[in-house]
Amino acid sequence: MELIKNTHFDFLGKRKIAYVFSCAVIIWGMVVFGMRGKQNFGVDFIGGDMLNMEFSRGISAAEIRGYLKNLNIGYYSVQALGAEGREFIIKSSPGTSRKIVEYFEGMEAGTPEKSFTVKGESSVAPSMSISLRKKALYAFAAGILGILLYLTVRFEFRFAFGATLAIFHDMIFVVAVLALTKRQIDASVIAALLAVAGYSVNDTVVIFDRIRENIRKTRSNDYATVFNNSINEALSRTIFTALTTLFVIFLLFFMGGETLHAFSFSLLIGISIGTYSSIFIASALLVDWHRLSPHKFKV
Amino acid sequence: MMRQYYYRFLLILAVIAACIYTIYPPEKKIRRGLDLQGGVHVVLEVGEAAGEESSLSDLSDRVLEVIRNRIDALGVTEPIIQKQGMRRIIVDLPGVQDPDKAIDIIGQTALLEFRLVSDDQEMLSAALQGNVPEGYQLLYSREKDDRGIYRETNPLLIKVEPELTGKYIADAYMGYDSSGFPDVNLVLSKEGGAVFENITASNVNRRLAIILDGVVKSAPTIRERIGGGKAQITGRFSVEEARTLAIVLRAGALPAKVEMIYREVVGPTLGRENITQGFRAAIYGAIIVVAFMVIYYAAFGLLADFALAFNILILLGVMATARGVLTLPGIAGIALTCGMAVDANILIFERIREEIKTGKSPKSSIDAGYKRAWSAIIDSNITTLIVGLILFFMGEGPVKGFGLTLSIGIVANLFTAVFVTKSVVDWVMVTQKVEKVRI
Repeated sequence: MELIKNTHFDFLGKRKIAYVFSCAVIIWGMVVFGMRGKQNFGVDFIGGDMLNMEFSRGISAAEIRGYLKNLNIGYYSVQALGAEGREFIIKSSPGTSRKIVEYFEGMEAGTPEKSFTVKGESSVAPSMSISLRKKALYAFAAGILGILLYLTVRFEFRFAFGATLAIFHDMIFVVAVLALTKRQIDASVIAALLAVAGYSVNDTVVIFDRIRENIRKTRSNDYATVFNNSINEALSRTIFTALTTLFVIFLLFFMGGETLHAFSFSLLIGISIGTYSSIFIASALLVDWHRLSPHKFKV
Repeated sequence: MMRQYYYRFLLILAVIAACIYTIYPPEKKIRRGLDLQGGVHVVLEVGEAAGEESSLSDLSDRVLEVIRNRIDALGVTEPIIQKQGMRRIIVDLPGVQDPDKAIDIIGQTALLEFRLVSDDQEMLSAALQGNVPEGYQLLYSREKDDRGIYRETNPLLIKVEPELTGKYIADAYMGYDSSGFPDVNLVLSKEGGAVFENITASNVNRRLAIILDGVVKSAPTIRERIGGGKAQITGRFSVEEARTLAIVLRAGALPAKVEMIYREVVGPTLGRENITQGFRAAIYGAIIVVAFMVIYYAAFGLLADFALAFNILILLGVMATARGVLTLPGIAGIALTCGMAVDANILIFERIREEIKTGKSPKSSIDAGYKRAWSAIIDSNITTLIVGLILFFMGEGPVKGFGLTLSIGIVANLFTAVFVTKSVVDWVMVTQKVEKVRI
């Protein structure tokens, strides 16, 4: 079977539309991100407690909030998981989750059966969240620097820079979508963002590889045409390599459960947008760069 | 000519056999992370020592030693207790049955003090107004109110200087007091027994408070001189609480203030759910990928699927051999490997199709396909490997597990998707005299 053959789309002619689309989503997302402030981050990065509680009787989030109001524990939020109204994620300020558990234990004192179980719990003190934040930043810096260096050695600086810009685009795009969909960034999302960085480069490399080959073959200086042809020639592999990976991530997103939710969502958005950015950001920017400051690619 | 293929297949079979041997039985050979089997992960930060001159790093070592003793008493199968930097201690207790108890045991300073109580009622009321006399302090006991919240009650004016501390404890065990409530029995060391005898002798009819980590546990009145070096701590303990207290008192107090700056508890149910959901998603994802490859690339797709299975097998084999920890994001990493493992084959197969269109013979199309796709494969695998290694070395817990499976998967991919498939294709081409390739 062969679904994509001999395409001649003028991808790079449409690049301005793509620039507008990317900028619109990113700017809108960043405005929302700015307005949400600390709410953008999970307990790992701002400190705080998180409880995953399951009740044996049906109970509503509002009812739980009502109980928590009595406790005087400062900030808290209650989020129901699933439709049955049994399992909840309760987030609260650092060091307060024990108090919440003790409170519910107190409520059932004297009753013979347990009305709830604590399925999971995490508590991050502010000093720990600072080190986790630092670590995430170092990991980002190391990842991007590593990729930039490797690509500079294998291709040349302009290619490496274009690919790295595309990575930035993809990661900021994911962060924007996370903000727009009211999701939080935690350690697993950072891992997903880095994985997006690693994967998004794959598509870009496939296209650049073809561009490199075509420049060698044609000795042409009309880079816009060479780039466009290369994108078309590599199109079917760009799409299918992304697709096989997306199949898997789709299932992780829909079936992987709550713990993987934010992680697989970030991968889903990031890898889709990574494919788009290989064409419309990485390659397109190189063409525009060449237009502004002509350069002969060493291949 | 043929001999070359025998060597290749021998190598492939040997790798398969070695992997199966190391993996089997998987429940035993592959270590699961906290998120998959439940357990406790804690990071402690050691504060300054109380009045002692010693470096923070030494202090952390001593804290670590005490915690190790306590955890040994708890009987966890594979605990990890290690220092991180100067003042942080990481404690990992996979599969622990009662996480609350474990946290209690790790986190308690367990500084036990016997201190005299002032029986002057006027001084106590003055102190409650804010006039605490020198050499004394106000301490409370903690009790649960009817709503189950701990409250500080029963203020007592207590001497700052302890008469005796937990240092002199030789043994501690749970018992029951005369009315049948759990208590903790202490056996004091020889030296401690003598001190205790002196105190009780010279303070008959005064109250001696037993204070644990700044909270009054009980404050019995001394009736008579107590010899024999034995004491009891009573104070409305549950059986569990008394048992826990006995363990920490036996292991000794922490030599410094310790703050629990990170605590992660995963209950066994959540661990089981994570495993089932994670694996189900990964397996269904893999099935779709496998089906797609066969539909889209026919026999070559089947070959890629074989390479994919081999890739996962090597991945698990290396995990088992290296004693790597499989986490939920690690399962996601395996799933992602399934999606990415076939990428290399897609690059090769697409290239072969292209070469065939230029009119080359099947053999040279295939050779050119593999050769020309190689640079894109190695570049894309290495960039992903860079990220995988960073996540493995810089990440913690679940994220580390993701970096691990991702990295192993990518490296194994070069072997399975390129070397293995090429060997099979070449062998088929040589033995079957293929004239036309359908791909």
